[in-house]
Amino acid sequence: MRRTHRHGLGREVALWIWGILVLLFLFAPIAVIVVSSFNSGRLLVAWDGFSFDPYLAIFEKPAIRDAVWVSLRVGLFSALVATTLGTLAGIALARRPGKWSAWFIGLLLLVTVTPEIVDAVSLLPWFVTLGQDVGIAAFNDGLVRLTVGHSIFSTAVVAYIVRARLVGLDANLEEASADLYAPPIRTFFRVTLPLALPAVLAGGLLSFTLSLDNTIVSAFVQVSGSTPWPVYVLSALRGGLRPEIGAVSTVMLVLTLVALGLVAIVLRRAGDSATDIARTMAGS
Amino acid sequence: MRSPRFALAIPAWAWLVLFFVVPVGYVIWFSFGYKPGIFGTHANDVLSFDRYVEALSPTFFQTFLNTLWVGLAGTALCLLIAFPVVYWMAVKVSPSKRGLLIALVMIPFWTNFLVRTIGWQVILAPEGWLSTGLNTIGVLDGPLEILYTRTAVLIGVVYNYLPLMILPLFVAFDRVGAPLREASKDLGAGPIATLARVTIPLARPGIIAGVLLVFIPLMGDYITATVLGGAKGNMVGQLVASQFQTAQNWALGSAMAVLLMLVIALSVAIGAVILWILSLPFRSAHRLVLGPES
Amino acid sequence: MTADTPIRILANASASRIIGRELTRRGFLSAAVAVGAVGALAACTPTSTGGSPQASGGPLENKLSIYTWGEYDAPEVMSAFTSELGPQIVIDSFSSNEELISKLVAAKGTSGYDIVVPTGTFIPQMVENGLLTKLNRDLIPNIEHMDSAFLGRDWDPNNDYSICKAWGTTGFVYDKSVITRELKTWNDFLDAAQNEASGKTSVLDDPGDITGIYFWANGIDWDTTDAGNLDAAEEYLVNTLAPHLAAFDSYPGGQSIPQATMTLMQVWNGDARIGILEGGEPDRWQWVLGAPVTEIWMDNWAIAAGAPNPEAAHAFINYVLTPENSLAELDYIGYHTGGTDIEQAANDAGFEMLDLVFFTPEQIATMRTGKVTEAQGRLVDIWNKMKAAAGA
Repeated sequence: MRRTHRHGLGREVALWIWGILVLLFLFAPIAVIVVSSFNSGRLLVAWDGFSFDPYLAIFEKPAIRDAVWVSLRVGLFSALVATTLGTLAGIALARRPGKWSAWFIGLLLLVTVTPEIVDAVSLLPWFVTLGQDVGIAAFNDGLVRLTVGHSIFSTAVVAYIVRARLVGLDANLEEASADLYAPPIRTFFRVTLPLALPAVLAGGLLSFTLSLDNTIVSAFVQVSGSTPWPVYVLSALRGGLRPEIGAVSTVMLVLTLVALGLVAIVLRRAGDSATDIARTMAGS
Repeated sequence: MRSPRFALAIPAWAWLVLFFVVPVGYVIWFSFGYKPGIFGTHANDVLSFDRYVEALSPTFFQTFLNTLWVGLAGTALCLLIAFPVVYWMAVKVSPSKRGLLIALVMIPFWTNFLVRTIGWQVILAPEGWLSTGLNTIGVLDGPLEILYTRTAVLIGVVYNYLPLMILPLFVAFDRVGAPLREASKDLGAGPIATLARVTIPLARPGIIAGVLLVFIPLMGDYITATVLGGAKGNMVGQLVASQFQTAQNWALGSAMAVLLMLVIALSVAIGAVILWILSLPFRSAHRLVLGPES
Repeated sequence: MTADTPIRILANASASRIIGRELTRRGFLSAAVAVGAVGALAACTPTSTGGSPQASGGPLENKLSIYTWGEYDAPEVMSAFTSELGPQIVIDSFSSNEELISKLVAAKGTSGYDIVVPTGTFIPQMVENGLLTKLNRDLIPNIEHMDSAFLGRDWDPNNDYSICKAWGTTGFVYDKSVITRELKTWNDFLDAAQNEASGKTSVLDDPGDITGIYFWANGIDWDTTDAGNLDAAEEYLVNTLAPHLAAFDSYPGGQSIPQATMTLMQVWNGDARIGILEGGEPDRWQWVLGAPVTEIWMDNWAIAAGAPNPEAAHAFINYVLTPENSLAELDYIGYHTGGTDIEQAANDAGFEMLDLVFFTPEQIATMRTGKVTEAQGRLVDIWNKMKAAAGA
């Protein structure tokens, strides 16, 4: 439990101010977009007058909705894949290091150091080969291609984060569990995974976020009917970005904040047991 | 019960080999070939190192120096800004609110990159929100000339890479949180000593992960630095992309990519050695181990 | 080489490998085949396509897939096509011709896209690589509504593969509150960039357009491959011009003009028009068409090789060429669609700032079409050197 130290009050206030300033910094450009999304003009950032038209335009343009929907699904799938693979790898790196781990970390570094354009131009013909020549039909599917493409970098990221979390922790508990003849699987799910959970959740969150923004790989591997949102936005520059782009962003932001608020309320209402969940989530 | 030590890493390994090593390896192979004719992108029937010689141009090194500056300054700023924030979240904020705070840090990044950038331009433009605001309250006289400067490069970079620093720091940091701080206080150590001798060493895996996750992708990124910084944000990744895309010369692009990967790896290695040397005098005799929380 | 050649090649496994190698040697299909194992494996696959389905005026398919620039078509034209003729339209977007070409090369006729919208200069490459299918002009009678000035361009002299979708030209925009003299030519642009607008100038992020400024200003053929010309261009652009540049930005109309972040910008006409119209200060900005010569670029309707819905694709191209749809497209994107009497129609409809959309025949005569030449690598090199010099 926390205790407030009288002599640390000044520092404490400074930390709160700094934290809130950084959050304001993060949301500053988003606020601009929210305001701009009610623009009646033709260009997102050239204010003309107040209007809800950009929001109505979302309904008239299936291409926009499709692109957002593609991105959300791919984000979720690639986060799941990357989190699963990355967590297992991160645990192995932290708990079972050996000669192999140097090679494996080398591979992860290689993944992060490779320019995205190289991933993009190499994955495209590879997917075509797997899908049409080897005959694995799944690789002709846009969502599968995007999911795989986005999961590469994210897998490395999750592995780093999970490893960073566990390396700072003693393995006593897991060893104790093993000494008590608990099967490795049970030790894994009962002890190791809960210890790593904050890192797993953070890694998943980061994977989802990276996927939502992935433009270069996406542009190359997408197929008919699977243009993701960032590719759509980038390609729309040629005709000038319209306010509906801001409207979509605002809708997404509001939905996210509402969902987050609901989670917070549910956690508070549910009392003690939920506080534990929150604690677990936050990793205290 | 002894499966191979790397058993848990096998799925990730297989995935990366299948979807990264094999296809990327194939493209790297093109770097030994050449560009055949105007409309071809690569051919490998004659092999040589000529593309590497071509890639090692003065432009590459000139641009690399700029990239290195952006990479180092951007990473350092991310760390300096993120460190107190993460400390605040992991130590000062009540546990039940931490998850929400982490989510709040990430949510701005669910708005598209280009859209966020446009938001920044509206704020930073000479006749934009910030400029108008500063002029109104009298802090500034005349337009704010910050876009397309090195400062703008850093604003863009820090803004977009901050979450990649905050998240790994947070997950490593919050284990260090309250209990250890208490312990240190009980031992009578001052706040600076606690930070230097306890907090930072224990958060080290997170700091290393955060620094790598910001520095390495940033060195290969060629878009983030230019969106607010314009020409001042010119990055070496641009050379690679221009060969693959505009010049349609995959052979040269591939050679440049290999070169870029090598110099980034070399920078990381040099950085690691410097850090190791610097840390020698501070290395404490005993190792701190944090037990699992009861 | 007809467009469906690669697919016919794929029908015979053993022969195709030899043909493939033979073709590689001639630089043909090099990108696809040189993916080596990938290409060879592709050849072994028994393909069910059996040849590109050619449109013959049969019943329309119920789907149509269009791969184009984002926000590049009027939504009402799309929905009217579906409600009148049936096919559901799926739109996908790309942001560069290279992306489009990479996609079509890798997919080897199975991309699933019907209509694609490449820029003219890329069409010879696409035709040579067998990425486009010939148009059945009998199914596109509405081409009669097109102005002949925008048909039969160098990249496709008989419009066998492509029909103009929209075209634009290059000029520059300057802030009259800062640059008080009148700028008229590319030489004026270069002079102002080094004086009043130093550090506040942006140029298009494209090697052809950047080097074009120098060639156009100095009366040198834009397609030059002469080493002396290229050296002179590099010397001037990298050492003299680049240090004064603030950004390489292909779309300053979207932000730089409305936000007034630049003083002088090289810009495409449609982008300039939107920026000036919407920026709120139309009197502050002056558009100048590049002179003595400048470029004309053109995005074109074309049909991808192996298009699954060729009948619907032809029907759509025909549909969008009618005068009323052409006008709706022009209104939406702000670029000339190449229709015959569209200028009068646009005037009647009361569209604004049409001097940035329509140009006199004399002006059009000064606009050059670009071409991909052996100098492309060198131009990219100059472009990168300029970026390095501007970033230092």
